[in-house]
Amino acid sequence: MIEIQDALRKKEIWAVGGGKGGIGKSLITGNIGITLARLKKRVLLVDADLGGANLHTTLGIGVPEMTLSDFLNRRVETIQEVIIKTSIPNLSLVSGAQDFLDAANPNFAQKARLLRHLETLDADYILLDLGAGTSFNILDFFLFADHGILVVLPEPTAIENAYRFIKSAFYRRFKKVVSSQNIKDLIDAAMDQKNSMGIRTPYDLIERIKQLEPESGEGLELEMMKFRPKLIVNQVRTKNDIQIGFSMKSACQKYFGINLEYLGYVEYDDCVWQSIRSKRPLAIEYPYSRPARCIERIVHNVLRKEQLTASMLY
Amino acid sequence: MIKKIEDLNYYELLEISTDASSQDIHRAYDRIRKIYEPNSIALYSLFSAEETTSINQRIEDAYRTLVYEESRKRYDALLRQSHQPPPATAAAPLAEKRYQAQPVQPSLSLHSDNRYLKNAEPAQEPLPPPMPAVVIPTPQPIPPTITEFTGSVLKALREQRSITVRTLADMTKLGTRYIDFIEAESFSKLPARPYLRGFLVLYAKALGYESERLVNEYLKRYDAVMNPPKQK
Ligand SMILES: Nc1ncnc2c1ncn2[C@@H]1O[C@H](COP(=O)(O)OP(=O)(O)OP(=O)(O)O)[C@@H](O)[C@H]1O
Ligand SMILES: [Mg+2]
Repeated sequence: MIEIQDALRKKEIWAVGGGKGGIGKSLITGNIGITLARLKKRVLLVDADLGGANLHTTLGIGVPEMTLSDFLNRRVETIQEVIIKTSIPNLSLVSGAQDFLDAANPNFAQKARLLRHLETLDADYILLDLGAGTSFNILDFFLFADHGILVVLPEPTAIENAYRFIKSAFYRRFKKVVSSQNIKDLIDAAMDQKNSMGIRTPYDLIERIKQLEPESGEGLELEMMKFRPKLIVNQVRTKNDIQIGFSMKSACQKYFGINLEYLGYVEYDDCVWQSIRSKRPLAIEYPYSRPARCIERIVHNVLRKEQLTASMLY
Repeated sequence: MIKKIEDLNYYELLEISTDASSQDIHRAYDRIRKIYEPNSIALYSLFSAEETTSINQRIEDAYRTLVYEESRKRYDALLRQSHQPPPATAAAPLAEKRYQAQPVQPSLSLHSDNRYLKNAEPAQEPLPPPMPAVVIPTPQPIPPTITEFTGSVLKALREQRSITVRTLADMTKLGTRYIDFIEAESFSKLPARPYLRGFLVLYAKALGYESERLVNEYLKRYDAVMNPPKQK
């Protein structure tokens, strides 16, 4: 019992998501984990990509025998039993479900059990690698974390999906804090981009709610300020690509009213796929490469609660 | 407490504090112009072309007002008059500050006070003529008769709709040069692939097509020239 309390106190949970597949979520999660483990933190990586688990690959590990499916299907009692140690000191892994057919959509009880078990684990950092998309399960993991981190690529589709992700996560969070069924219905309606009420942004929604129930409206404004998703731009090749993070941050603030924190970027480099091909983690195989350094800088920014600022660049 | 973009005062718009030095203002202007660069792929899915144009116009107005001492003084007086004490703390990024700042007050409409300032503003250039209202059609499926989206097919489709290069440039906020390059398939003169993709999405939308097939086919042609498969 004391152990559990201890664990609750100091642990931090980070979740890494993004609206799109194949944008480097697993690569970044895995290597953030390695970077933290090198800083002598006890790190647990959890492959929460229930549809297409591959976090083990970025760590250069084959498909482990025990995975999250054993836990979800109750073949084991506790999540401890599916934790495997990696060859990197301080770093362990809960590998993703491989055979759980409905894994992409665990039911409410399964998800609750997973989150409950995660909360009791003893580690300094638990990193969740999320699947692609904006399904409720993914959003719930994202919102459950202390730090929700979004990855984008400097290309229109990935950016569009990231905005959709931010908006959906925000509305979902909204819905959890309001009690009135009327407001819940209004939020549902607002999530449909083409809703007939002319609600296009969280701003519009709050305005409308304030008219209906001034108190709820103010409460939601507070929620809006507390919601601070974080952004990483991956596969950056030019200065303009780096700039995209600043533009997204400002646009989110001015359009949605949401504070997006720009943690940093990761440069594009062939050494990334070389490391994946040689089945050796990037931060181990090429610790001084530019992408590995970028990830280090991102980790430091989260730890120091800092963001990238334009003056660092120009 | 939370303000819509059109309700931000000039300081908030430039993300600076009210005691910013003129150097701060220059820097902020440079930075914010890069952020709202009309071709930025980070913007088009949130802001319409018209909105981006109007944000940029307001950024210009804010800069020109604040950068001259005289007009800045007048503007500050105006801000005070509107019972909206400008936040005094420096340094902290505006996003945070704005929230702690003030109770809800009748907000300053930038457009009206802008006009007010304009009369007395010596160095101000006249406003450009208003943008023609361009209607972006809702995307349609692509008719099966189109076999491949080459540059010349794009050009033909554009002309079929009686859209000039100039109009298309206004609709998409792309430079006319880029539209010419896209249509001429001058691949080497086009920007890097991720940008080109963004341009093509805008182009497709302006033609009224769903973008996916158009973009992919065009990029395939682009890749064949620019990123030929490596010989083994
Ligand atoms: N900074 C980079 N430089 C070069 N290549 C990169 C970079 N980041 C990612 N990649 C490439 O992108 C591929 C996909 O990365 P990853 O598997 O981490 O994406 P993901 O978002 O987790 O995908 P999924 O949605 O399928 O889980 C990697 O195998 C790698 O080859
Ligand atoms: Mg992955």
